Amino acid sequence: MRRANTVLGGCFLALGVYLLISAWRFPAGMGRLPGPGFFPAVLGAVIVALSVALLAGARRAEGPGWKLENKAALAMTVALLAGFLLLWGVIPFVVRGFLFVALFLRFLGQPWKVALAAGAVLTAAVVLAFQYGLRVTLG
Amino acid sequence: MSPDILHGLQSVLQADVLGFLVLGVLLGAVFGALPGLTATMGVAVLTPLTFWVSAEKGLAMLLGIYCGAIPAGGIPAILLNIPGTPASIAATWDGYPLAQRGRAGLALGINALFSLAGQLLSILFLAVAAFPIAAFGLRFGPAEYFGLALFGISLMAGVSGNNVLKGMLAGMLGLALSTVGLDPMTAYPRFTFASTEFLDGIAFVPVMIGLFGLGEVLGQMSEKHGREIEMPAALGRVWPKLDEWRKMLLPGLLGAGLGTFVGAIPAAGGDIASVIAWEQARRLSRRPKEFTKGSIEGLSAACGSCNSAIGGAMTTMLTLGIPGDAPSAVLIGALLIHGIQPGPLLFRDHGALVYSIIFLMALAAVVIAGVGLVGARPLARALRIPDPWLWAGVIMMGVVGSYALNNSIVDVWVMFAAGLFGLVCRKASIPLGPLVLGLILGPMMEANLRRALILGRGDWGAVLSHPIVLFFLVATSASLLWPLWKKLRSTKKTAG
Repeated sequence: MRRANTVLGGCFLALGVYLLISAWRFPAGMGRLPGPGFFPAVLGAVIVALSVALLAGARRAEGPGWKLENKAALAMTVALLAGFLLLWGVIPFVVRGFLFVALFLRFLGQPWKVALAAGAVLTAAVVLAFQYGLRVTLG
Repeated sequence: MSPDILHGLQSVLQADVLGFLVLGVLLGAVFGALPGLTATMGVAVLTPLTFWVSAEKGLAMLLGIYCGAIPAGGIPAILLNIPGTPASIAATWDGYPLAQRGRAGLALGINALFSLAGQLLSILFLAVAAFPIAAFGLRFGPAEYFGLALFGISLMAGVSGNNVLKGMLAGMLGLALSTVGLDPMTAYPRFTFASTEFLDGIAFVPVMIGLFGLGEVLGQMSEKHGREIEMPAALGRVWPKLDEWRKMLLPGLLGAGLGTFVGAIPAAGGDIASVIAWEQARRLSRRPKEFTKGSIEGLSAACGSCNSAIGGAMTTMLTLGIPGDAPSAVLIGALLIHGIQPGPLLFRDHGALVYSIIFLMALAAVVIAGVGLVGARPLARALRIPDPWLWAGVIMMGVVGSYALNNSIVDVWVMFAAGLFGLVCRKASIPLGPLVLGLILGPMMEANLRRALILGRGDWGAVLSHPIVLFFLVATSASLLWPLWKKLRSTKKTAG
């Protein structure tokens, strides 16, 4: 958990600093009244303070770190989904949806026949419900 | 009878509205009963399906999902020892042992009947208490609303267990995300990265779908090795006998009362309610040793309380705009999409709609009780659906639902990013509740703080010295410092 909290604290610290710098560049308010940068600046300052506290406490953090099992399946799901979205508008939804579901299920250990059948059924259900039922153009 | 009550009843008693309610309850039952799916996920992922229907029908379906999922969560808790939703955790303690003793049918019957009792009692509380609370809320000005929002977020962070610091950071991140888009007072674009897609801010629904849909799926994939399903061979008698009723009635009603109260506290949902109610029922029982061994008293208290938390959570959500639990937090976003803004003004200007909500919830409670009593067997069979099939369905619904919101691929990428972040949050023990609340309450908090400062001519003292604001500030400090103080005390005790 020590390393995990350090990474997390670092990320939040970067976010807090980014908010502070960005808010500084926003136009100032009128007189004593706050402008558009006021709220982000307050948030940035609080996030910086909390991140420093998290980083300071990370040394004493106990317990196991992040435990990711089935890493290959996770990575493949994320890659498949990213591909599915990147090909939006390039390949028709029917093909993309079918391929995504079939490959996803196959990769998670379902037999090819089941994966292909589920891909066809699920894609058909989504197209029927959204494209024909609700008139959403899925592309 | 008030005309608002009549109008509310009239708008509910329409065939299509009732149809959407039943559909919502059935979908909610599936989401609650299947261990890979949750009530929050159900409301988030299925919200896009309601975009194309009127507010009444959309509301009927969403309330049906919410009210249907929580009782159905008790089914896998009893049959598999796996809570279908976090609220059903206490139902596993006595429900599963009871099923193992060959009385699975009775356990499912108790779940259905005391879910009905819990929901109806809490809906009665909503009907009686909500209007006076909302009337009090009408006295709130910008400064009070700022204090209330701050208090709501602090409560969410405060109940984040050992992770108060991470809870606070999550709340701040939610608030930071809410600043994306045009500044509410000057229309100056903030954090839009020169893209017109973000001028209206980050769409709430894709974030919800990502955090609670895709994120949950990825989280389960990173942990699961497949679950073994061993179901009881026969369910047996469902309806309790008279002497069983005598034993259960008091703990069940005690659970319902406690659940309503705990549910009304922002951020304390059905899971906390059911644990507290089960423990109190055990303390007051003449047969405390039977608890965890299949006590019908323990089961009735657990089922009554986790369901009554719904009415409590809805009371806080509808009257003050502060969600009582995670599903009601997502429900706020869905209501906003339908042009319904929870808060005191809803009660002043749309009283009939409030009564519609009350009637819809009561009807949903009756329908899901019927489903629980009659349809427990088919729902039990649905537990055999393999997880990967459910995951594929949730991802597809999440992608298409996010896209359908604005016909925008950017919303789908937002959902994708939120899903990955949801996975990180689960792994890093960052609670999602404060993040969601920050995202919802951010605009209200910022706009009201700045309005209050304008009214006070920039004088912070004038803003913070309002009695109600002072109360919220003290309560905020207490809710954040209490867990830290508790931790410090336990550390000292351990050291001593």
